[in-house]
Amino acid sequence: MKNGLLLLVLVAMSACSSMGVEPWERDILAKDEMQLTTDAAEAATDDHIYFSKEASSGGRAFGGGGCGCN
Amino acid sequence: MAVTKDKSISAALATASCALLGTGVTTAVDAQEVPKWDFNTSLLYYGEDESRVQDLSLRAIVRRLFVDDRSLTVSLTVDSLTGATPSGAIRQDVPQTFTRPSGNAAYVVPAGVLPLDDTFLDTRVALTGNWQQPIGETSQVNFGFSASNEYDYFHLGLNGRFSKDFNQRNTTLSAGISIAQDEFDPEGGAPIPFTSMLDIGDTSNRPQSQRDKDVLDVILGVTQVVSRKLVLQANYSYASESGYLNNPYKVLSIVDGTTGDTIQRVAPGPLSGPSHEFVFEGRPDDRAKHSLYTQAKYYMDGKVLDASYRYMTDDWDIDSHTLDVRYRWPLSDDKYLEPHLRWYSQSEANFYRLSLVDGAPLPAFASSDYRLGKFDAITAGLKFGWKNRNDNDMSLRIEWYQQMGSIPAGQLIGKQSLRDNYPDLNALIVQFSYRFSK
Amino acid sequence: MARFQAMGSPCELLTEAPSEVDARALATLAADEVWRIEDKFSRYLEGNVVNHINAANGATVRVDQETAQLLDFANVLFSLSDGLFDITSGVLRRVWTFDGSDRVPGVAAIKDLLPLIGWGRASWQAPELTLLPGMEIDLGGIGKEYTVDRAIALLREAGPTPCLVNLGGDLAVTGPPRRSRSWTIGIEALEAGQAEAMLRLRQGALATSGDARRYVEKDGRRYSHVLNPKTGWPVADAPASVTVAADTCTQAGMLSTLAMLKGASAEAFLDEQSEQHWCRRSF
Repeated sequence: MKNGLLLLVLVAMSACSSMGVEPWERDILAKDEMQLTTDAAEAATDDHIYFSKEASSGGRAFGGGGCGCN
Repeated sequence: MAVTKDKSISAALATASCALLGTGVTTAVDAQEVPKWDFNTSLLYYGEDESRVQDLSLRAIVRRLFVDDRSLTVSLTVDSLTGATPSGAIRQDVPQTFTRPSGNAAYVVPAGVLPLDDTFLDTRVALTGNWQQPIGETSQVNFGFSASNEYDYFHLGLNGRFSKDFNQRNTTLSAGISIAQDEFDPEGGAPIPFTSMLDIGDTSNRPQSQRDKDVLDVILGVTQVVSRKLVLQANYSYASESGYLNNPYKVLSIVDGTTGDTIQRVAPGPLSGPSHEFVFEGRPDDRAKHSLYTQAKYYMDGKVLDASYRYMTDDWDIDSHTLDVRYRWPLSDDKYLEPHLRWYSQSEANFYRLSLVDGAPLPAFASSDYRLGKFDAITAGLKFGWKNRNDNDMSLRIEWYQQMGSIPAGQLIGKQSLRDNYPDLNALIVQFSYRFSK
Repeated sequence: MARFQAMGSPCELLTEAPSEVDARALATLAADEVWRIEDKFSRYLEGNVVNHINAANGATVRVDQETAQLLDFANVLFSLSDGLFDITSGVLRRVWTFDGSDRVPGVAAIKDLLPLIGWGRASWQAPELTLLPGMEIDLGGIGKEYTVDRAIALLREAGPTPCLVNLGGDLAVTGPPRRSRSWTIGIEALEAGQAEAMLRLRQGALATSGDARRYVEKDGRRYSHVLNPKTGWPVADAPASVTVAADTCTQAGMLSTLAMLKGASAEAFLDEQSEQHWCRRSF
């Protein structure tokens, strides 16, 4: 599991040199809908719902926790 | 006369400036005042079928933008929860009586019906704050707190995150840490694990004391811009929970090892509480979770595909897979549809038990909480987003959430296999969001 | 990003150049132009054209084409403003020092200077300028904005890299940035560190006139640093600052300056112009 992660990070890092865009090619990436979290309220809502209904939480960011959730 | 003259000044200046600068063509100015305040509000209805949990939730996220990309974000959420939740006991062919968590009253569950505890009623208020600011040209820090309060639960957390851009901002590495201390003050006291549900008024196994839980979260992330249209993210996160991890309101049925029926309770005098043998659950007092989250956003000619996958594993032997796909499909410049599909699957905790056998040695830990069982869940939804006349974003989403559980092989005893021990959970999620800026 | 000091203000160049080498080349290009104009037109430097004119003592000075264009422009502004915008009013600085103190000059001292002020008293027949003995010109009121526009023109010629040139708050862009949809600019409020307003600029320029820190105060009256060349006294009821957005920095700067000179009717004047503006009065 840990090795897998390390490998993934290394792959991402080593691929950096050839990946990516020039600063002036960010027109699409700058769009609202291309942000990793498009709707903060919706994301927080989902994190909280699934935190209270399932055994897993987080991953995307810190979140969802802080409730007794019976 | 003077007025006409003043009006022409702008035009005369433009001509004179052109002469001065020697440029025939000038590009027209395009300046827009940026709103300093950003409000993101939403109203959520979450409702489970068969009168289980209903939640009406109001959320407001307010962001104040300062110069140099610094910002303060504060969010306030108020949840109003009502309804019933499974008590952990199994169905019987006869009516069952339970003592309420308060210890002051009892309730009866008819024969053949899944025991739900209907005292569940709560208001939850949660507040978070976050300060974000760049450090130099390629780094950014975040500091935040979170606090929430319910009648039996109080949470306080602090978090911080640092991120740094590399490779012309195509790669961002981030590291964050969050610590939280939660206080559980269960209604009627926190029962001692594996002791029986007692008669009304008998709180001898439920010492009135507040229980703490500490949570440490660490998150490491990489965001990589792959091309003009593709961005990827990968996060590894580790969470360690320690302290009181039990659910003080959940019980397990003590059953006959042959028939699978719950043992009838016998008391020296008249019964004033539970009709059958139920014991309170007990979980380990620590838990370590590892998860790997990956997300891809891909732009396809105006449409955006957002796909994420999360793998989680913990030392309670729960493994889970979550696949989430959203597809944003613009209908016009200011309207879009976004279908959403989410698939989730988890294995059961190693101490998940549907019931406990009478007379058999007690396990170290046991819980029949459906959230620790083996189940798959599907969410299917559709969001419609539009801009109103003032160019503010509105959206409405409707989603269905369904959990389909199964009892691990070997846990069903006798007549238990004839009953639905893990009924599906069906929930409707309706959320209306409104975003505006000032 | 490159930073340097010129014309008594911090200067900034923001670029989205593909490499550091390119960024440096663009920064050098812009800085060289800024310094060239500063050297040529600063009234504090010996031996430049402004110095020649101011030291001519009544003699006719023949100027080069760039200076002539600036004087033509000043001439237009003088008539557009009914004489309120006057490049010969700089001599008033001999008696007025706006340093937050209570030093208000005497009526006589101001009166003594008035004969030396007035573009109308100068004879300008491009390329020849004749001032009365003792008169001086100061192109500082046009210089910064002109420099920003010149630098932007050079950067545009150099290539398509998006750039922003900022000379102490007077700024212009070559075009929209590519990293985000627009350049975000804070208009400083009167209290330090707080942004009064934030702007997204994709095209064009911004200029601000007025400086809340430059004033004199005596007997409960605050005098702004905007002087009326006809009276030698500060313009009454001038706004604390005026920011204007326009196609070029020169246009924006001149509009904001003219608005300041209009005093109490600054807002009315700006409202009649088609450009976006932000006017602040509270001290």
